Amino acid sequence: MNLQECYTAIEGDYDDVINRLRSERLVQKFILKFLDDGSYDLLLKSLEEENYEDAFRASHTIKGVCQNLSLPKLMDSSAKLTEVLRSGWKPEAAELVEQVKRDYEQTVSVIRKFQEGL
Amino acid sequence: MKSQTTKFLKVNLTILLILCIVIFSFLAFFMTTKNSETISKIGNLYMTGMSERIAMHFETIVNYQISLVEDIVTAFPPGSEDQRYQLSYAAQARGFKSLGFYSLNGTFDILYGENISVIDPEPFSQSISEGNAKIAVGSDDNGNHLALIGIPANYQMSNGETGSALVAAISIEYLEQLLALDEDDSIIYSHVIRKDGTFVIRSGGAFRENYFSRMKNLFDESEQDKAEKYIAELRKAIENGDNYSAILPLKGDFRHLYCVKLHSSEWYMITVMPYGTLDEIISGLSSQWIVMVLGSCIIILTALILIFIRYFKLNQQQLHMVEEAREEAIHANKAKSEFLSNMSHDIRTPMNAIVGMTAIASANINNPQQVTNCLKKITLSSKHLLGLINDVLDMSKIESGKMTLNIDHVSLQEVMDSIVSIVQPQMKAKDHKFNVIIYDIITENVYCDSVRLNQVLLNLLSNAIKFTPKGGSIQISLHQHESPLGDDYVQVHLHVKDNGIGMSEEFQAQVFESFAREDRTRVHRTEGTGLGMAITKYIVDTMNGTIEINSEQGKGTEVHITLDMEKATIDEVDMILPNWNVLVVDDDVQLCESTISSLEAIGINADWTLSGEEAVKIVYEQHQKHNDYHIILMDWKLPGMNGIETSREIRKLFQSDTPILLISAYDWSEIEEEAREAGVSGFISKPLFKSTLFYGLKQYVAHESTKEPIVNPANKPIDFRGKNVLVAEDNDLNWEIAEELLSELDLKLERAENGEMCLDMFKKSEIGYYAAILMDIRMPIMTGYEAAEAIRALDREDKDLPIIAMTADAFSEDIQKCLKCGMNAHIAKPIDVRDVARQLEKYMK
Repeated sequence: MNLQECYTAIEGDYDDVINRLRSERLVQKFILKFLDDGSYDLLLKSLEEENYEDAFRASHTIKGVCQNLSLPKLMDSSAKLTEVLRSGWKPEAAELVEQVKRDYEQTVSVIRKFQEGL
Repeated sequence: MKSQTTKFLKVNLTILLILCIVIFSFLAFFMTTKNSETISKIGNLYMTGMSERIAMHFETIVNYQISLVEDIVTAFPPGSEDQRYQLSYAAQARGFKSLGFYSLNGTFDILYGENISVIDPEPFSQSISEGNAKIAVGSDDNGNHLALIGIPANYQMSNGETGSALVAAISIEYLEQLLALDEDDSIIYSHVIRKDGTFVIRSGGAFRENYFSRMKNLFDESEQDKAEKYIAELRKAIENGDNYSAILPLKGDFRHLYCVKLHSSEWYMITVMPYGTLDEIISGLSSQWIVMVLGSCIIILTALILIFIRYFKLNQQQLHMVEEAREEAIHANKAKSEFLSNMSHDIRTPMNAIVGMTAIASANINNPQQVTNCLKKITLSSKHLLGLINDVLDMSKIESGKMTLNIDHVSLQEVMDSIVSIVQPQMKAKDHKFNVIIYDIITENVYCDSVRLNQVLLNLLSNAIKFTPKGGSIQISLHQHESPLGDDYVQVHLHVKDNGIGMSEEFQAQVFESFAREDRTRVHRTEGTGLGMAITKYIVDTMNGTIEINSEQGKGTEVHITLDMEKATIDEVDMILPNWNVLVVDDDVQLCESTISSLEAIGINADWTLSGEEAVKIVYEQHQKHNDYHIILMDWKLPGMNGIETSREIRKLFQSDTPILLISAYDWSEIEEEAREAGVSGFISKPLFKSTLFYGLKQYVAHESTKEPIVNPANKPIDFRGKNVLVAEDNDLNWEIAEELLSELDLKLERAENGEMCLDMFKKSEIGYYAAILMDIRMPIMTGYEAAEAIRALDREDKDLPIIAMTADAFSEDIQKCLKCGMNAHIAKPIDVRDVARQLEKYMK
């Protein structure tokens, strides 16, 4: 699996990210770093602790990272979650959290596969 | 030409009539003549036959009588016994009146009956002596005429002589009776005459002794010479022993005369047949014939005359048409000449300006201000001239039938927008109140020729501007109905209304004619070619639309155009905005309702109110309920408090970020400053189509606003070398990306992991050490907002350094908040190095 195939698998916008970051090396470097990013863990943790301010910020950060890496799918779900959490917990957030989880897991699993193939 | 044709037709008709009459008259005359000829021939044949028959009949009788006497002679030949008695007895038995012996010297020896004598003894004696039987006229003692039959026979007479013949007498009446010639009802009658014309037997009321004198008498006195001629002919025929036939014209009547010699006598039989009867029958036929001929003649003549009249009328019609066509051609020609003279005048005016201004510019080549002024005027005149020429070209296209529509997908919103922006400056120049109204919009996207539609609307609007005095009001409205053509079509109604000088009724009647212009007493300065309305009408007609004009002098004009357009199937699903609450403020209920239905179509909840005062109240109430409107759309021109004043009022009441947009059909550049100061966030231009609203409001969704075109491309070298920039970013990954990307700009980057650290690092730095701060918003411990506010609140010379927000937040509220917290600008993630460079360059000195 090459980088482009990886992007296709996670429904990312390869052209956009290459256009912005200018080199495959950088894209690869950052996409691998995405695995180490703590925002997702923070999100889960704060949700568990019902610390919704942190949850909002974590979700917001995921959104920002996704924007930087041109990962529209996860960005969409995290953006929705961010908007819901902006003013505290709302019942509809639960569904969105699940969505974010699904998208994140899917993205991460693909990137891991990519990493293994290197 | 006309009279010539008429004359030609009349002469020909007369000649034909005469020819017809002559031919038919000739036919009638010829036939009549032929008729009489045929009649005389038939008469001759018939009469000859008849006369011969009568003569034969007479002779048969005479011969019978002769044979009777001969029988007697044969029975009792001379020398037989008791001869006188026997003879007398036989004769009496056979009905003879008298019987006697005759000697050639003329003496009679009477056997019985009265004494008889021969009136003309000579031929009688001669025949006897020749041994032939003979009949002759004789008389008795009383002078009564008798017919005497003599048979040669030598009987012994009482005086001792030997007789030469036996003579028996019968009365003439008897002969007459036998002949039955004197019957009244017979149209034919016969006479028997002697050679000298004296009658032997007469009939038919003849009373004279001589037939010749009778003939003479039958003719008119004036025609006695004719009578003599016929008598002479008859006499001659009698002398020669020939038969004679003639038709005698007698006192308007014709009689056929036939004369034949009778054998065994010196008699002649004359048979006369009045010709009239035959003639009457034939001439009856003949007159019938003439009537028929005349009848046919009249029928043919009538038919001819009818044909001629019809032809004449057709001819007249054709002539009339030719005349009309000629007049039309003359009219068109005249109109064109007038047009040419108008045109040359209208062309000359801007041309003069161009030539003159060019000359002035040349003379003042060193005076840039003067030259600029001249060029401006030249540009104006050129544009005017171009407009004229375009109109003329259009007209010539129309007249040669070459103008076709270029049907394509058209957005009515774009059409209206472009129209409004084109006419705005002119409206402003004349201080017109301009209003654009749209409502009941079924679809914005249709198939139409946008160029031609623009042309029509521009022409109507420029007319409205031209003929509406300063300060007047002009309105263009657009609404839609269901089309009678079906669901795939929509009926578009366009009204252009002004309160200008209007048009007279006479002019309205000819407003669509080419080269038409209202009289010059009212319209002193004409602009344009007088072709605009003709072109407009033609375009609308070609689009299968209708155009109506409603105008009154001094009150204004309203033009109403109706067009059926095909709906364009455009995917409008994309036009959805967040579920905001929006307030619409406008004094026009229809416009409010129309706007609200458009807003609902793009997913926005909307309320409306009619006045500024009411709007302030409603906005405040909603604020109290913590249910603020997301956006307020406000008409600029409101009765009472106008849009700007209302905005100011609202902003005064409470602090809020709610964008207030002014709706205006005008160019708002002049009021922009005042409006911005009053708290107006932006403008939205009339007419408010769904798409206008969508694109107008979309910019308040920050995510969308990032897609603005990039003004300053990254390849432009910007010198940031060695500048220190502080980046506040809590997320490692984001930081690394930022560092990586911004390294391209040769910046010296330092990282602060949250707002507090950022503030500390800035505080500890030397004055002017940091050229700028790139600030994430959502950070733990201290947010970007707080950090920015804190930095601005520091007592440092460089506290006003550029602080640029970098955030993943999409909404305009965030942008507003960034700016409010004292940051200079906002960059949305993902980080684009060109964006960052642009913003840094903008704010770094």
